[in-house]
Amino acid sequence: MLIPPEALIDGCMRTLLESVLPDVGSRFARGQLYAVADVLRNLRDRVEPKASLAEAESKSAADALAAAIAALSEAGAGEAAARLRSAAAAAPASAVARAAALESAVTLAFEALEAVPPAAGEAARRALVAHLVQQTLRDVAQLKPSLLNEISKG
Amino acid sequence: MSDTLEDRLARFLSARLGDADTLRVVRLERSTEGFSQETFRFDVELVRGGAREVRSYVAKREPPAGLLEPYDLEPEFRVLHALSDDPLPSPPTPFFERDPAVLERPFYVMECLPGEVPVPAPSADGSGPLSDAERRALAPEIARALARLHAIDWKAAGLGFLGAPAPGTDAARREVERWAERVRRADLPAPPVLAEALLWLRSHLPSADEVTLVHGDFRIGNWLIERAGEGTRLTGLLDWEMVHLGDPLEDLAWCSCLLWRAGGPNASCLVPPEELATLYAEASGRKVDPARVHFYEVLALVKMSAIMLTGIRAFRDGRTSDLRMAIFDHQLPFLMAGLAMLRGHFAAAGGS
Repeated sequence: MLIPPEALIDGCMRTLLESVLPDVGSRFARGQLYAVADVLRNLRDRVEPKASLAEAESKSAADALAAAIAALSEAGAGEAAARLRSAAAAAPASAVARAAALESAVTLAFEALEAVPPAAGEAARRALVAHLVQQTLRDVAQLKPSLLNEISKG
Repeated sequence: MSDTLEDRLARFLSARLGDADTLRVVRLERSTEGFSQETFRFDVELVRGGAREVRSYVAKREPPAGLLEPYDLEPEFRVLHALSDDPLPSPPTPFFERDPAVLERPFYVMECLPGEVPVPAPSADGSGPLSDAERRALAPEIARALARLHAIDWKAAGLGFLGAPAPGTDAARREVERWAERVRRADLPAPPVLAEALLWLRSHLPSADEVTLVHGDFRIGNWLIERAGEGTRLTGLLDWEMVHLGDPLEDLAWCSCLLWRAGGPNASCLVPPEELATLYAEASGRKVDPARVHFYEVLALVKMSAIMLTGIRAFRDGRTSDLRMAIFDHQLPFLMAGLAMLRGHFAAAGGS
């Protein structure tokens, strides 16, 4: 999630009050809409991203990086391995920030592989790609069916 | 003086539509389909010498913030204006206004073409947006329209201002860097799948043997059609915001890519991608190189990622109250899964 829950709730409030409310005709419906706004603004400061999701992400990324570092060291690409080791070690402890830092390290790993002969980087790339696949599957599993059609058609 | 949007548009058009005794803007409604620019449909009632005439128009206005910021409607207007007399069904577009005194932000006005816009999403019953008969009728027509678009003599039409890439890999390089820059400007953590895809694109730039006008967003959702079973026809090509000069196969790849298949196998819900490529090759006389198409399909998903990240950034910053920008936060994982599949990651990892 790239939008923090607080920003998302603030945005929902803005949309309800600025874009929806002016077109709501009945007094009852307007009252209900204000009630939704009241619920949302009281929810705003009580929610945070689920730590368990960030922890699963961190573990997957850390495992992939460890495998990539080992594979690069074994293939003689010591400099690239050292860069990745240092990036992984710098990840902070708190769940969400750690997941973000390790994801950046995975991106760094792909960049580092560009400078490594393909054969030497093959095993490391395999480990990183396996992580990408798991990451995308985890992310998609969290999503509800899209309402894009209804959103587009109104 | 009243200051509704209708009144302001009426004042603007009165000065341009000539000799009407009275002119009123009526039935103005904001459209939901366009996610980028603000789109308003409206009718103009003109009375001349007692005779009443109604004309339908669409106004496109720059949003305060959005998916393709920073905005500049003028290139798009100049292209549409230049194509107004071309047989290609682009909407005749007579008026552009940059003065913020008129509608606060720049806008242009185009004629409203007949038809409806099917969107690339399955219906509640799981069926696609087009029936089999409609698909059969439309696919060759779409291929012919794309071929016609790419056959436009852009130099003669005065469209050189769009900036022509140099022969060779410049067309691909420009597009990769254009969208990489937008990813960078969004200043959000780019998913590693996206970062990897950008690295791959930069090291696999294909060479283009010709430079054509490229619509940039040629796909279902930007086509106006009139449904009539096997007589279904294309009545309009919309949303030229991403028009540029480049490799014609970029349009074919965008139209064919995963984004517009509504979960089915068909390019833009029409026919399988290979069949659309064959129809386009027949209509254009151009050879369709599968490797080049694949490159531009990967670029298509990178481009959509950049668009979504830009929308997410605008929403996150509170620069837009359009909640449709926020839903991209939930669309991005699907996009990353598609990109991972297209890059062969699932196959490499032994997954499905």
